[in-house]
Amino acid sequence: MATINLSPLHTSSSLRFLSPHSSQNTPTLSFYSHPKPSLAFPSISLKPNRHKPRALTVVSALKKLSETELFAVPAAVEEVVGKFPDVPGVYAVHDKNDVLQFIGISRSIAASVLAHQKSVPELCCSVKVGVVDEPDRTALTQAWKSWMEEHIGATGKVPPGNESGNATWVRQTPKKKPDLRLTPGRHVQLTVPLEELIDRLVKENKVVAFIKGSRSAPMCGFSQRVVGILESEGVDYESIDVLDEEYNYGLRETLKKYSNWPTFPQIFVNGELVGGCDILSSMYEKGELAGLFQK
Amino acid sequence: MGSRGATALLSRANRMKIKLQSTLEASILEIEDVSYQHAGHAAVKDSANAGETHFNVKIVSPKFDGQSLVKRHRMVYDVLADELRSGLHALSIVAKTPQEAAQN
Repeated sequence: MATINLSPLHTSSSLRFLSPHSSQNTPTLSFYSHPKPSLAFPSISLKPNRHKPRALTVVSALKKLSETELFAVPAAVEEVVGKFPDVPGVYAVHDKNDVLQFIGISRSIAASVLAHQKSVPELCCSVKVGVVDEPDRTALTQAWKSWMEEHIGATGKVPPGNESGNATWVRQTPKKKPDLRLTPGRHVQLTVPLEELIDRLVKENKVVAFIKGSRSAPMCGFSQRVVGILESEGVDYESIDVLDEEYNYGLRETLKKYSNWPTFPQIFVNGELVGGCDILSSMYEKGELAGLFQK
Repeated sequence: MGSRGATALLSRANRMKIKLQSTLEASILEIEDVSYQHAGHAAVKDSANAGETHFNVKIVSPKFDGQSLVKRHRMVYDVLADELRSGLHALSIVAKTPQEAAQN
């Protein structure tokens, strides 16, 4: 039987039960935060629509998992929102064979079901819902634990989506990588010339972007565009801030010589200069980047 | 020496035009000063040539034939090396061969 730690202190790190609307980085706070307006569904209000009859809405207080009715997830977005409650609680997602895939906690069950249906439609076919009346963190965690324990007790298994490391159901907030630093500091004597450090860096990393400012706050429009393109392509890339006078002192002049390219940003793939913002943008518009990054 | 003095008096845009035209035999050459879009930019404030730091360059040249984009941009940068050393900060370059330009 799968070992699973159900102590409240450890659940958030060992098991993935947060809804996609909760931030991975702040599990404690996310229990209390309202689901942020999701960028994925900007036009849909998740507030209960008072003009519509609520008869279809699945409203059920928390019961045992086995005694909770299973409701099919409608294909149409509006119906999902109408059918499932926009309130906090627990929910259990089943696939098309009614096999339990994931038990989650959410601030808005409707929003979470909608998000799952959108990201994994093949696994999100029907859902059991348990509304938690006084939805503080303890109550929600308790509800979740009771369903998890019941399921584990009955099957001897953790739902596949709740297994540690399974990222199917919980959107990983892509954590921005830190920018790389070329040297240990401006006043530290380098044992290898800066040029060689650049050479190693671009050859040891598949995609490297030398930008102005950090990747989280680029300081020039061209660098910002480059970061935007790389992020939208989902590329795992390294960034180096050429304006960092402490850790990348002298980089701008040395890099210009190294690459024989007088401006920034500069993007390298497999050790080769691809170009600056213009070239990257043009390749992006022509759809040539995927091929470039696959090489 | 007379011509050198004259060149220095010209605006950077005009100098760029003359250099690109003669070296790359451009059939189409458009240079647009977009420095105003970058006013306040650190590099612009420091520059002695305040105001002429950022340009859009559209250039069509038979010399780009068979050259990669990186090579074409380098050719443009090489021609403008002096300008880049004296305060020209950034170029947005569209570099095409006559055939490519005709396709659009």
